[in-house]
Amino acid sequence: MNLSDPLLWLLIVLLAPVTGALLAVVAGARASELIARITALLTLAAAAALLGLRAQGSWGAYIGLDALSDLFLFLVAAIYAASTWYSRGYLRSIDRPFLTPQRYYALLGAFAFAMLLTLSVTDLGLMWIGLEGTTVASALLIVLERRPTSVEAAWRYTLIASAGLTIALFALLLLYEATGSLNGFALAAHPMVLSLPLAMAVTLALVGYGTKIGLFPMHTWLPDAHSEAPSPVSAMFSGVLLPTALYAFLRVYAVVASPVPAALSDLVIVFGVATALVAAFLMQRQRSYKRLLAYSSMEVMGLAVVGVGLGGIALYGALILVVAHAFAKSAAFYCAGNVLRRTGTTRIEDVRGLRTDLPWTGATWVLSAIAVTGTPPFGTFVGELLIVAGAIVVGAWWVAIACVVAILLSFLGMNAQIGRMVFGADPGRGSDTAGPPESPRAVVIPLINVSVALLLGIIAIPYLAPTIHSAASLLGGGVP
Amino acid sequence: MDTTATVEALVGLGILLTALYLQSESFVDPLVSGIAVQSLLLAALLGWLAWVYDNWEFGAVAVLVVGVRVLLVPYILRRQIRAFRWRAREIHASQRVTGHALAAVALAIVGWFVFQQTLAPSLPAVPGVALPFVLLLEGLLMLATRRNTLVQVIGYLEEENAIVYAAALFALGFPLFIEVVVFLDVLGVVLVAIILSIQRDVTGLPEAEILEELSG
Repeated sequence: MNLSDPLLWLLIVLLAPVTGALLAVVAGARASELIARITALLTLAAAAALLGLRAQGSWGAYIGLDALSDLFLFLVAAIYAASTWYSRGYLRSIDRPFLTPQRYYALLGAFAFAMLLTLSVTDLGLMWIGLEGTTVASALLIVLERRPTSVEAAWRYTLIASAGLTIALFALLLLYEATGSLNGFALAAHPMVLSLPLAMAVTLALVGYGTKIGLFPMHTWLPDAHSEAPSPVSAMFSGVLLPTALYAFLRVYAVVASPVPAALSDLVIVFGVATALVAAFLMQRQRSYKRLLAYSSMEVMGLAVVGVGLGGIALYGALILVVAHAFAKSAAFYCAGNVLRRTGTTRIEDVRGLRTDLPWTGATWVLSAIAVTGTPPFGTFVGELLIVAGAIVVGAWWVAIACVVAILLSFLGMNAQIGRMVFGADPGRGSDTAGPPESPRAVVIPLINVSVALLLGIIAIPYLAPTIHSAASLLGGGVP
Repeated sequence: MDTTATVEALVGLGILLTALYLQSESFVDPLVSGIAVQSLLLAALLGWLAWVYDNWEFGAVAVLVVGVRVLLVPYILRRQIRAFRWRAREIHASQRVTGHALAAVALAIVGWFVFQQTLAPSLPAVPGVALPFVLLLEGLLMLATRRNTLVQVIGYLEEENAIVYAAALFALGFPLFIEVVVFLDVLGVVLVAIILSIQRDVTGLPEAEILEELSG
């Protein structure tokens, strides 16, 4: 067995969650949890090995890796592992869950597998199947808490995301007709000059995959699904599902030869700027803290799409932003889960005094809130700074100003609300309505994730820089 | 015009008419019949192309379309209508259906014109090459403007038909065609499963209350 063979690790990355999902179905409740935890860790270890090896190459007609997929595979595996380990306490707090623990862990594994498959194939059609698979696997996870609102949210999610992906599939049909191939890696290696069918294909892919990324105005499923899903699933939605959809779009976008004609890149930038601004404005009027976090994810994805459209160092920044945001936002959602378990409500105005009631969760939530809003020295700050700098470098001042406005609004909206909940006066909640007190295990996972986001800003970026630079270079971006 | 072109033209006309009919109908039961007829027309075209080009993939997809979109999903939807009479008609249909029909015709004309002017010259010269795009837009219109969940499923099925139709007309040899169609159908069934879970879990709660919770 050759441990430096990337294919070995890739097989583990793909097979571990599937095996875990299948075993979880036939196992007992406790055993399914144990199996899910072990297989999730195994997936993470294998994805870390791929990242460490800087694996690249193709195996057969459909499987292949490069720096971009290594990076995203690690991201998905890390948040999948964190969500699996966080789920235990959360599941126990749910009264009459829609799914048994066995089915929950099986669907969680299937959800992770669908994303990992999307990221480890070269064929754009198979990539589309993987992304469609995420909808199939995750739709029922949203209904876990059996609320009428969660069923409605699952319905909207499935319907809108599927409609978007159907448009993306239409784009792939046009792309195939224009290029004669759907091998994303081969097409990116020999990018084509923009023709009308190719422009139409990329535009439809932007709209189609953009629906799943959460781009305005196709974003309407996002706040519902993120806020109604159980917190570990929300963390996966925000942290890695949206970036996985972005990855699928990037693979289509990479087919166009660099420099991308201004008409097309401007369209991408407009979608990104509109998304970031709309989300940042909507954050100001949110009454539910989970919806607040959901709109924050939308804002970050908008900024990342702006980075993609700008290219160069902005694209490099977009990748850093997506990586750091995944860890920070998942931590924020885990904290939200702790708060929900304790207070039984998601209404911001009903939650106060977390500083004394849930001190560790409160502190971690504040940290993760400032992390997701791009505060120095977190990795998100570095990413957002590079995106704004990228806009200035190419002379797109209006883009830079719009991004700064979105970032400031998001910072104010998020931190003012979270600050009120953590530091506001305790309303004196009666013990009969209070959920279980804070357990150390419920805080460890969010603390780890927010620490990773912090380390990314302070220490880790130099270590990840070659990989991120290679990933950005594949798309015509990176540091000059 | 050769026989294949005649078949493509006739099926295209039928598909366009069913698409416009679906937009103008307010009762769910005829809508289910309409989408089944549209799917059957598509299956007939696929069967013809499978025979002409000796392409087993088209034959397999034709069988899938008949099995899932002509028989299975309509059967499940009709059971839903029988179980919940209130789902039998679109809410406030009397005021809205005329508007839908007019919007559908306008959208079809605009979609056809845009596609013919931009993409059609670079695609194979087959009759009705713009129709899959028109059908995709019609499906999206139905999803966006109708509130009845069963009608939204029909809108989704129409989008699925648009994809298969496009692959049959201008993307011959599209890789993983069968796998893609299977996934589309699995998702269609998941949509129906969610409806079933709504039936089991949340009947009795006024829709307005749910929407209020999800506002903002």
